[in-house]
Amino acid sequence: MLVKERRQAGRITFSIVDALRLGYDNVKRRFNRAVLSMAAITLGIAFFSTLYLTDVFFRVYAQTEGGNPRIESYQYWLVFVSLAVCIVSITNSMLIAVYERYREIGTMKCLGALDQHVLKLFLIESLILALLGGSLGFGIGLVASIVTVTVTLGFSTILKTPPISILTLLGETVLLSVILSTVATMYPAYRAAKLDPVEALRYEV
Amino acid sequence: MKSEYIIETEDLARYYEVGGEVIKALDGVDLKVFRGEYLSIVGPSGAGKTTLFNMIGGLDRPTRGRVIIDEVDISQLDAYELAWLRCRKIGYIFQTFNLIDTLTALENVALPTIFAGVPRDEGERKAKRLLESVGLGDRLNHKPMELSAGQQQRVAIARAMANDPAIILADEPTGNLDLHTGMEIINLLRELNKTRGVTLIAATHDLKMIGASDRVVYMRDGKIEKIEKGGQPIVNFP
Repeated sequence: MLVKERRQAGRITFSIVDALRLGYDNVKRRFNRAVLSMAAITLGIAFFSTLYLTDVFFRVYAQTEGGNPRIESYQYWLVFVSLAVCIVSITNSMLIAVYERYREIGTMKCLGALDQHVLKLFLIESLILALLGGSLGFGIGLVASIVTVTVTLGFSTILKTPPISILTLLGETVLLSVILSTVATMYPAYRAAKLDPVEALRYEV
Repeated sequence: MKSEYIIETEDLARYYEVGGEVIKALDGVDLKVFRGEYLSIVGPSGAGKTTLFNMIGGLDRPTRGRVIIDEVDISQLDAYELAWLRCRKIGYIFQTFNLIDTLTALENVALPTIFAGVPRDEGERKAKRLLESVGLGDRLNHKPMELSAGQQQRVAIARAMANDPAIILADEPTGNLDLHTGMEIINLLRELNKTRGVTLIAATHDLKMIGASDRVVYMRDGKIEKIEKGGQPIVNFP
């Protein structure tokens, strides 16, 4: 009966568009929390992009002016460490966000949301934060690297740099930001999705 | 031919183990609920009212026994079908309202329609109609925190009706409301029950609710103590 009716009446859905809309609303309305989560991504990405943009400028300088300015290898280690710290702080921040929204998640499940819908919602929110934080971080990195290179090698190096190489790096940076954020949100989102609604609704915030 | 019962439980039991001790939250409940009935469930806290609700809503699995909703044994359903049941068949109303604070009244009511796959504008039109029918037509874009307790519970009632469920489960719906507001909510629920034919099951301590219902189930220690006919609805409460 129920199964037959289910086929007639349609399915349980949560489209990407709905998830994006709800996720965007959540990010917008929980702006303080979003800023905290985003700060981790932004700082990590800013450090990463400063170093790599500087490297791009150095290569241009080496090609046009000769000489061999180089990024010290320990600096790459620092970037690696900062990105690892970035992942951990996003995870931490997202876990707190899940606890804050215990009741909300429980309620949504009562209203017919599936585990995968909750998972989708949290991953979408992290995607939005990654895109914003990644772009912002790249902007900061761009400014920082231009300032350093101008001081050390002169502004002409920057003018000689083909814009396409900077754009490529922007694309790569945002992609990296999305990957980092997704990896970091996996566990909190899984926790949220697996939440038992009975427990969640009993939980007092 | 549909059965005259929308919900049947057979020897329903749910045991928990807390610190090595077995707690019998439900211990052999046989309950039959008629279609379109307004049923009150009464009992001291810990009597198993909420556990019974969780069982009927498919949120929890029984230790023993069966829950049959519309002739379907819901223990046979998978997670997807249970979600479908919660989405389409059952509306929930809570003591603490449980509205989503970041969404407006309209968005809260429209939320279940998203899961039901209703197109967005259609869902919002319906949410608007429902909010108007509970007397909140002028509060569509208010957040829950900008509404009074009674208004929040009205939004929750509109949300429970969003997908035209056959059953509404109300867990102490007047527990956080003053006398007068509580009475308004009871009258609203009673009206929905009468006009839309939705089966209403309410766990309550509230004498006014008991008076308004068709039948009253008294629970104690996870068992049904007795079932009585309800009193007359108290329409004009001062």
